[in-house]
Formats: sequence, C-alpha cells, structure tokens
Amino acid sequence: MKRAFMAITVFLALTSIILAAEVTLNVKEHVLGNGMKILMLQKPGMPRVVCHVYYKVGSINERPGITGIAHLHEHMMFKGTKMMGVTDFEADAAIDRKIDELMDKIYREKYWKADGGDKEKIAQWQKDVDELVKDEKKYIIKDQLWELYMKNGGTGLNASTSNEVTGYYVTLPSNKVELQMLLESDRMMNAYFREFYSEKDVVMEERRLSENRPGFLFSEQVIAAFYAASPYRWQVIGWMDDLRRITKKDMEEFHNTYYVPNNAVVIYVGDIDFANIIAMAEKYFGRVPKGPDLEPIRTHEPAQHSEKRLYGEGPAPTSLQMMFHTPPDGHPDTAPLSVLADVLGSGAGGFRGRAGAGSGRLYKILVKEKEMAVTISAFSRPQWYVGAFQFNAVPRLDKGVTPEDLEKEIWAEVEKIKKDGVTPDEIQKARNRSEAMFLRSLQSPMGLASRVGRAELNRGWKALLQDLDDLKKVTNDDIKRVAAKYFVRDNSLTAVYIRKMGR
Amino acid sequence: MKKIIFVGLVICLLGIGTGFGFGQVENPSDLKFPPLKFEPPDPKVFRTQLANGLRAYIQEDHSLPLVDLSAIIGFGNLYVPKDKAGLGSLMSETLIKGGTKTKEGSVIEERVEFLGGSLSFFVSERTSALSLSVLSKDLNEGLDIFFDVLMNAEFRGDALKLGQARLIEQLRQANDQPSVVLAREYSRLLYGDHPLTWDPTRKTYEGITVADLKAVHSEYFFPKNIILTASGDFNKAQLKTKINRLIAGWKNRSLVLPILSKQFPQFEPGVYFIQKAINQGYISLGHLGIEDTNPDYFAVQVMNFILGGGSFTSRITSKVRSDEGLSYNQGSRFTYTWGFPGVFSGYVQTKSATVGYAISLILKELERIRKEPVADEEMETAINYYLESFSDNFQSPQVTMANFAMLEIQGKPMDYYKTYRDKIKAVTKEKVMEVATKYIHPEKIAIMVVGDWEPCNKGSDKLPGGLDQFGKVHRVNLRDPMTGEEIK
Repeated sequence: MKRAFMAITVFLALTSIILAAEVTLNVKEHVLGNGMKILMLQKPGMPRVVCHVYYKVGSINERPGITGIAHLHEHMMFKGTKMMGVTDFEADAAIDRKIDELMDKIYREKYWKADGGDKEKIAQWQKDVDELVKDEKKYIIKDQLWELYMKNGGTGLNASTSNEVTGYYVTLPSNKVELQMLLESDRMMNAYFREFYSEKDVVMEERRLSENRPGFLFSEQVIAAFYAASPYRWQVIGWMDDLRRITKKDMEEFHNTYYVPNNAVVIYVGDIDFANIIAMAEKYFGRVPKGPDLEPIRTHEPAQHSEKRLYGEGPAPTSLQMMFHTPPDGHPDTAPLSVLADVLGSGAGGFRGRAGAGSGRLYKILVKEKEMAVTISAFSRPQWYVGAFQFNAVPRLDKGVTPEDLEKEIWAEVEKIKKDGVTPDEIQKARNRSEAMFLRSLQSPMGLASRVGRAELNRGWKALLQDLDDLKKVTNDDIKRVAAKYFVRDNSLTAVYIRKMGR
Repeated sequence: MKKIIFVGLVICLLGIGTGFGFGQVENPSDLKFPPLKFEPPDPKVFRTQLANGLRAYIQEDHSLPLVDLSAIIGFGNLYVPKDKAGLGSLMSETLIKGGTKTKEGSVIEERVEFLGGSLSFFVSERTSALSLSVLSKDLNEGLDIFFDVLMNAEFRGDALKLGQARLIEQLRQANDQPSVVLAREYSRLLYGDHPLTWDPTRKTYEGITVADLKAVHSEYFFPKNIILTASGDFNKAQLKTKINRLIAGWKNRSLVLPILSKQFPQFEPGVYFIQKAINQGYISLGHLGIEDTNPDYFAVQVMNFILGGGSFTSRITSKVRSDEGLSYNQGSRFTYTWGFPGVFSGYVQTKSATVGYAISLILKELERIRKEPVADEEMETAINYYLESFSDNFQSPQVTMANFAMLEIQGKPMDYYKTYRDKIKAVTKEKVMEVATKYIHPEKIAIMVVGDWEPCNKGSDKLPGGLDQFGKVHRVNLRDPMTGEEIK
C-alpha cells in the first residue's frame, strides 16, 4: 500500500550562494516529485544533524469553531500512526471507532442542546467511553516515536505551532538521520489520532496555564480587538469553547488538507552529505502522495477607519500598548519600518526586566532623561498576511506617571520623526545591528534551521538576504514617509492596563 | 516497475552511491545505522595562561565573521550580606551603564550598539559573567571596551539611582506569576533563612551605595579570580598578545570568600498552601536533594529520567499527562546548586479539581520507583539517551569553552567529559533502585500548592476529599515584596 504511489520525480538540485554584504548562506535545495522541498546546510564540527520539518499551516488557517486545531493537531501528531504506537492496529481501531461514536453522541447532547442535554445519558455514555479507553490501553504503545528519538540520542525534541507555521524538531547523531526520515514521513501520511479526547484535556490545561499568566487574558482581547477580520485575531491556543467542541472528524479533515508534502519543507543542518540526504529523502518522503493545491488565506485586514482604545484591569503590571497596522512581509515599507523600530526602541526592553543597552531614542528620553518609564520598547512585526508596529511601556508609578502620560510622549516622538526623520548615524546603526543579529542567528544550527525553513514557506529562504539588502537602501525620506503613513490615530489601537490585585 | 527504474535512474545520474545499497525500511527496528565514533574535545588543548594569572579557554572558529568573549568572575549573589540583598541585580544593572574611569556608560553602550555588537553582564549564585559579541572586524575595539569595563568600572551615581528606581518598580511584580511565587516559597521552605533565599526589598535596594559596588568590584575582579573564554574568527596568538597588553597592569589581590552555612532547617512534612485566585493548582512536592559532586550523581540522573525527567518517556508524564490528560507540564527533577544540596521535586500544574488526584498519582510513582526494579527497556532508553546525545555538550565552540571554564571554576575533575559515558554505562537497575531509596523520601515530603483553596481542597470524583489526606495543611502567607513583611 505504502509503496503504491510514486509520482513523476522532478529533480532539481542547486547550490546557492548569495551575498549580502559579507553575509552568505549556502543552502542546497532539492524538490521531490510530490512537491516537498528538501533544504540542506553543511555545518561541520560535531557529528550531529538538526532535522526540522515545517508545514505551511498555523492558526491563520483555522476558522471560528475550530480555533486551536492547528496546535491541537500538532499534539496529536505524537499520538501514533497506523504503524507506530500500536500493537494491533485493526483491533485498536475497532475500539477507537466505538469511542468516537459515543463521543459524538455526547457532544451532540451536551453542545447542540441549549440546556446542556440529558445529564444522566451523558454520564452513562461517558462511563462506557471510560471502559473502552481502559480496554484500548492494551494495544497502545505509549509515546513510541518520542522514545525512539530519545533512545537514539535525539535532543531539541519538540514541536511548535505559530500563526503561520507548524514545526517538528529533532537533532540526531549524524549516522541516524534515516530514523527521522522514516518517522516523519510515516506520520505525514499515516497519522492516527489515538487518545484524542484525553489530549484535548491536556491542551485545555495548556490554555489554563496561559490564562494564569498575568496579562494574558488582556492581551488576548487586545489582539482580538486589533484585528477585525484577519484570522490573526485569535491566539494559537484557540478559544476554550472551540477546544471543547472540536471533533475527531474536524481533526482528520485538517490533517488531510494541510499535512501533504507539497505544503511542507524539511531542512537538515549539520554534518551531512548532500547526496546521501537526497537519496534517503527520495525514498522516505518521496513515497508520500501529493495533495491538492492549497489556497492562500482569503481574508486580509480591512482599513480601520477609526481609533480603537481598550482599558483593562488585572493582576499584571500597569502598562501601555500602542499598535498600528502595517503591511505584510515583503512590502517595500517593511525595511524603513524595521529601521524605525530600531531607532525608537533598540535595547530598551531588556532581558528579565533588566535595561538593555539603551541607545534607542525612547529609552534615552523616557527611561533615562525624564525618568517616566521602567521599560519601553518598539517592534515592527511583518507577518505573512498582515503587519503590526507596536510600542510597549511600563510607567514609573513611583513618579506618578500614568500610561496615558507615556502615550503622549510617544506621540510627540513620532511627530518629530514625521517632520525631521532620523540621523544618518541612526540609520547606519540599525543596518549594522540587523546584519550582526542575522549573523548571530546563524551561529546556532537550530536557529539557522528555523530561520531558513520558515522563510522558505513564505517568500523563499533567499528573502532573508533580500531583506538585509533592502535595509541598505533605506533613506531618511523613506522613514518620514512611513511614519506619516502608518502612525495615524485611525490606524491605531491603544491599550491601557492597570494593576489591580486579585480578580 | 517503471517507477522504480525511474528513481534508480535519477540516482545514477547524480552518481550517488551511498544510500542506494539499502531500501526503504518500513519499521524503525529494521534500521541499521552506520557506526559513529565520537571523542569529546580535550580541555587541555584550549587551556591558556594569560598575563597575571588570568586563565583562558580559547578556540578559533572561522565559519562566521564573529567573535564571542566572556569573563567568568568568581563573584555571585551568595557572597552578598543579607542587608545588601539585591546588590547582584544592581551590579548587573550598573557595571556597564555606570561607565569606566575614562568613558560614560552611555558612550560605551552607544558604540557597542553602533557596531552591531552586544555587551552584557549578569550575576548568578557564585559567578558572574561579562559577555561580548562583535563582528571580527571590530575585535580590537571590542577588546578595548571589554577590558576597560572589566577592569575600570566606575559605577557612576546616576546609573545607580536609575537602576535602583527601576528594580524597586519591578518588585511590584514579585507575586504576580504563580510559577515564580511557587519557586520562591518552595525554596524558602527547604533552605530557610539563607543567602540562597534572601530577597531584596525597597530598603535593601535603597541602602546600596556606589561605595558598595566599587568595593565588590575591587575585591573580586582581579585576574586570578577570573576565567576567560573566547571563540570565533581570530588568530589565537594575536588575540593573546593583544589581551596580555591590555591587562599588563592589572593587579591581583587576596580574597577570602565568606563562609556559607550548609545547615538547613527541618521543615514539617505535609501540605503548604498559598492562596491565589487562579483556575489551576501549581504544585511542587519534594525535599532537599544532592550535590552534583556526589558519586551517585550519574545513577540519580538515570533514575530521574525514568521517574519524571525524560519527558514523554518518563513515568510521571506518561501517567499524569498521557493517560489521564490532567496536565500539560509535569515531571520530576533534581536541581543542582554548586556547593549545596540541590532540590528534588515532583511537579505538575492541573485544574483546581484534580490537584489532589494529580498529587496522589505522583506520590504513587515515587513509591513505585523505590520499591520495584525498573524495566530493562526503561534502562535502555535512559542510558542510550545520555550516551547518544552526549556530543550535544559541544554543539558550538562557545558552549564548549564555557563548559570547560565552568568545570575549572567549580573545581570539578577536568576529565569529567572524558569519563562521562563510562559512568553512565556503569549504572545498573539495582543501582537505580538503591539511589531511589536513598534520595527520595516520601515520608519527609513537603507538598506546596499555589492555587484557589476551596476548589483545590474539594477535589473531584477521581479523588474526593480534602488536601489534608496528604498530611497537615499549613497555610502560607505571601510577603509584601516592597517590605518583605508577611501579608496578613
């Protein structure tokens, strides 16, 4: 069955060296017949290889009703396949189907009926489910994939889901890359979602952990208010109601749509032989059937046409957030916005609440000279479909400063920039910093894999070098222009949060 | 048929020999891996003596035009008296920002940022580190700045004043995060009134002066009390010459470290509950552990991997998360504190109603590993994990140099890595049970919970009944972080 499919193999292997200043990136590419892309970077030294698979799917591919499913699915990908995690697949599947039928009845009773349904019926069905779950255990091999990776010296073993991308990570000794090829191609095509309902409970606990992080519930509302239409408006973890109601069927549909080789890239960084990797990838990933083409996200964010303000209270530090809509990644305004964020906010956030090297304008003026802020920072986040420019600040309560006072100060600085722009030195500093930060991100093989792999799924990995190049062309006029264009009230959301102990 | 031939053809065209000899394997157990031999790097190769007794670990690495430099200094928070608690944080805040004898802090920061470099300083328990990263073309200027800060820090008053104000403001956040509250109070219960648990207050921060910072600097920052690490794109001989010239006039002095007590109070076993209106209970349960110089260290690592340290392959995760869906994050850990016994704890965060049930499941696992031998498969997974992932300790020259420097500064044997795998291999099933019995004591355990009392104490159908079924319940009041006084 598994070998039956073999599409026409379109072969393409090229080594690319592109220069941006002294920055080079030596990535070897190979595309399988089913559309899956293999990227490779040699990093000799230690006999280890970082192996990452990235799928072009995240929370922006969800819709109301199934928010959180991309992340829940990432969890389910560790729950086995037709081959892994089970001693007798058919026997296990028979029990699993019975569980699904009962759970379907429970969900219909509980969630479809306005009064929450017949509690006695639900309890009886749940009892039957519990029995079946107990019964099924004899066929389940717990976390077999994880154990195999661990036993073979897998480190950095993890997976993550973002708005745009889901990644599966392991670093292995260089003689064991074939294990990753086997396990990852297997779960791409043969995933089987055992223990689905208890894993939903795990994810709900994960959401509760977020809820108990001071400030999370407010920032969830801030993001939801900032985006009126774009699917960036919900968090990756999803809404609790959806987590409760997502069904096994939803999960299978999601998997079949997005977990196809033409929607994935796999990257290897470390002590590797290109030819060897390509030959293995052809065998393992090459056997996975190509899926239908995938349509990009339809709903972009419409113009806001009005100022938004949000006020909240809770158990986190008093703070100010200001957000502005900006264009997505790859837009000509991305580079000047990035320089602007560096000029205004560089180093002023700081690690563990310590002040960073404070050479950004806002730090100098508001933390140091006027002593009005504890921390203040500025970020430009060009995402795939929508961008955001953001200021975060914590006021000096001991000096009686309020978030609104800081808001006025930030606007004053922004207005100055609209008029006069910034200095040539500031622009040069921002360029130097971006280049150096980029180089540093190449130091760690894992960081390198993550940057190149993720970039590949949007505009291609070469965009990383293009972006550095674009920074060199930024002029003071560009800065003044983007400041005037995006820093306007009708394009903004201001969020004021006041600490109030307890709930 | 046609398809297979086609694939073969592609491979032939590329001239790929490797990988073609074997077919695609269906089952992981059929995989055959080529042998891989790995010997760890030898610290002696990198160890260098610089002027005035400054020791260094240096490795050239020309793969990127970058240089990383760190000075690990034998000064840490534990050497600060109680009435100056927070001095380490203030030092972190002001060593660079306070400038040097010839330069303002802002001038230094401005220049480093302009070069796209980074310069940071951080104080930990017994060491602190000044770290620099620069492009290799800027190395000379970077070295000048680095050693100027290290040798001539001036701690100007305006930097101190600003640092104090910011740190005092941040004290307000001390009781915000349930995880932070739990870690701090659990440590306070286990170690009692000790430098390990002294927290700053507004008063201690305000009491710290420029003279205090300068005194620490002159007392601890001298060549023989520092180990340097350097890796990156430079010539080692030239780097040494340059550094030696910069530190030529740097004097040594004698240093007597404060004596730190190793006596810790005996707490009463039972439940310690901290009230917070949240929808989960954050739980740590355990007691003091061992030092990492203990000969049983390796066996304890293997045992804890099986119990709750080996993520999904461990018993606690398998039971509490995977079987029961009670939590996202759970397990057990032995933490290590240089010079003191570390902490053993089981941990979990679960919704209020299942707090008692999750505790009971973890306690059962603690009993089980003490009373039943572990399975052969569990041993195999744990041991192989440590052996096969061993080379990860040397994932970059920067990490390797730091590891060697830490061995030396902690006075550990320099063949630690060379002998590491043999010590792991020597751990047996019997030894695992022996160390479980020796270092895990369920009858002496403190169970600390941060959560909402009523729902946590009520329990669920899975395990009804109050938390007093796990021993006497003590209610712990938090302290006002500004004053350090208990909040009644």
